[in-house]
Amino acid sequence: MSGVKLEGVVKSYKDVTVVHGIDLEVKSKEFVVLVGPSGCGKSTTLRMLAGLEEISDGQVSIDDKVVNHIAPKDRDVAMVFQNYALYPHLSVAENIAFGLRIRKVPKPRIEELVKEVAHTLELTSLLERRPADLSGGQRQRVAMGRAIVRHPKVFLFDEPLSNLDAKLRTQMRAEIKQLHTKLGVTSVYVTHDQVEAMTLADRIVVMSDGRIEQIGTPMELFNNPINTFVATFIGSPPMNLISTTITSIDGLVYADISGNKCLLPQLENPCDLEVIIGIRPEYVDIVPVDNSSAVPIHVDLVETLGSEALLHCRIQESAFVVKVDTHGKVEHLKHLDTLYFRQDAITVFDKTTGRALSRSSVGCNA
Amino acid sequence: MENEQSYQVINESPRSKKLTWLIHHFQREWRLYIMLAPTLIWFILFLYKPMYGLQIAFKDYSVFKGITDSPWIGLEHFYTLFENDQFIRAIKNTVIISGASLLFGFPVPIILALMFNEIINPKFKKTAQTIVYLPHFISAVIIAGIVITAFAPSTGVVNLLLNALGYDSVYFLTKPEWFRTIFVGTGIWQEAGFNSIVFLASIAGVNPSLYESAVVDGASRWQMMWKITLPCIMPTILIMLIIRIGNILEVGFEMIIMLYQPATYATSDVISTFIYRQGLQAAQYDLAAAAGLFNAVIAFVLVIAANTISKKVSRTSLW
Ligand SMILES: Nc1ncnc2c1ncn2[C@@H]1O[C@H](COP(=O)(O)OP(=O)(O)OP(=O)(O)O)[C@@H](O)[C@H]1O
Ligand SMILES: [Mg+2]
Repeated sequence: MSGVKLEGVVKSYKDVTVVHGIDLEVKSKEFVVLVGPSGCGKSTTLRMLAGLEEISDGQVSIDDKVVNHIAPKDRDVAMVFQNYALYPHLSVAENIAFGLRIRKVPKPRIEELVKEVAHTLELTSLLERRPADLSGGQRQRVAMGRAIVRHPKVFLFDEPLSNLDAKLRTQMRAEIKQLHTKLGVTSVYVTHDQVEAMTLADRIVVMSDGRIEQIGTPMELFNNPINTFVATFIGSPPMNLISTTITSIDGLVYADISGNKCLLPQLENPCDLEVIIGIRPEYVDIVPVDNSSAVPIHVDLVETLGSEALLHCRIQESAFVVKVDTHGKVEHLKHLDTLYFRQDAITVFDKTTGRALSRSSVGCNA
Repeated sequence: MENEQSYQVINESPRSKKLTWLIHHFQREWRLYIMLAPTLIWFILFLYKPMYGLQIAFKDYSVFKGITDSPWIGLEHFYTLFENDQFIRAIKNTVIISGASLLFGFPVPIILALMFNEIINPKFKKTAQTIVYLPHFISAVIIAGIVITAFAPSTGVVNLLLNALGYDSVYFLTKPEWFRTIFVGTGIWQEAGFNSIVFLASIAGVNPSLYESAVVDGASRWQMMWKITLPCIMPTILIMLIIRIGNILEVGFEMIIMLYQPATYATSDVISTFIYRQGLQAAQYDLAAAAGLFNAVIAFVLVIAANTISKKVSRTSLW
């Protein structure tokens, strides 16, 4: 129905290129999250979609129609801004109605639509207030209301939750997710918070330096990061990376970690001697299991989170974090001296390019 | 430390409590007071100290007796003033000229600022701004000279233009019916550009995402100007309006002195020029002081009134 397609989209300001040819297809009703570090071009990409920035090269289509030269208002998109962009001199109701008034929708119809949206977002009792008299979360909801009241083809969100405190953010995140399920409108959402990306997205687009690193469902990115950048960006705490050398014995590949041999997954082309192996803090075992290799460690610190604890330890002088279930006790964790790496929990990356040489099969087993 | 202090404070009388607080306050904030000092001193020397002399408005002042020794005569000077047709005329002229300046002059800088804001080419914008700011930096004497030359009966551009169009020359500056137009027009020409800076600054402060949001909503530039820019700078507009209303009785004195002549007194003589003629030229200092005091009291009432109304109507106020 109303998909969005970017083909080789480039954005340059004079001689600096900030987006280097992006290809992305967002299917109808899909919720896609663009995530990446600050300055990687997420907002720029979104603003090109909205028509707020000109496209230097490539093609953007909405609903199979090329919109490169179509004015923002004719693209039938709605955008929610980080700072809400509410009109300070208008009441909540007038703010929500603004876009409809501009489009000369008949008055009674506007009233009806505003009421409907206010009901959906639980703003009914606030309709007469000015934005200045609202809390952060309420303002955020008004901004959402202004977007959904027009029933656009595509929603664009630019870090809509980053001005809220942690608790409210979690709550609004859930509300956005519910709203999307209810309305089923194609959405593109920008954030630098990977937790937001993981929880909201049907598919995540990880960007860095104006390029797409990887596109996939949250679990695909979590289990099979295509390179070390995605590996460390997705997941919290991030994937542990250990720089090491590999040897091949009897067709099996081993890595040398602190003098111990650690069994690695099968590699397509196990000729590189220098690699980086990655393992998620959640996938490390503290007791031996099948196909696991022992690795000696030194525990520096145990951070207790309640049901879980983070072990900050050292392997070959580099920091290494493990997330373990406490089952109510943490004392024994402080004296741990060995960890067990399951073969299928390890991802191997090329040391020079950072690209994954193996695909972890954890996700597939589960 | 903290406990000790609060213990002391509890035992002291309310008055010494205040004193202790004051001493602590000064110890903490003396730097701010030092920075404030030059302004305070200026105010005291040039605005508060002269107020002492205001009493001559109620005295039969004689230069030889001095301010303190001149005898009190109550409201005598005020009766004299209000029986003086020239003073009544000056009040009327002041109100008309200020009213016209406000009515025609106040919107111009706002319109200019809105127009500058719509100029996209930065070079053109800078040039245009410089051109309209320029007259502000020219001294009043030269401005008056330019006006007098421009409206001169035989060689002035205005009359040359009129002649070219087939009309007869008019000696504008001697015609009472033209004085207000020329004066108000000159004021706008000289100050509108410069006054627009305040509004431009205010426009620059409007959150750009409001416009972006409006663009996505489908608003045209014209709609954005009316529905976003203007409402967003309304607080600034109101503050400027309050200040202008407060100054409504302060018509640009030098400019009038330089442009008026006895022939146009009927429309051009304002309170300040009246005070100048009575006080300095005719040496009736006490009468002039009374006129000045009257002027100040009215201005004071106007500022308070404007501020109160604005506070009620729009939540915006100077204090
Ligand atoms: N007008 C401009 N001229 C030159 N460079 C610009 C301009 N606007 C943005 N950039 C650059 O483009 C890059 C991408 O900016 P963008 O706002 O898209 O980042 P972002 O991924 O949204 O970051 P953040 O998470 O901080 O919002 C940045 O490096 C920025 O410096
Ligand atoms: Mg951004």
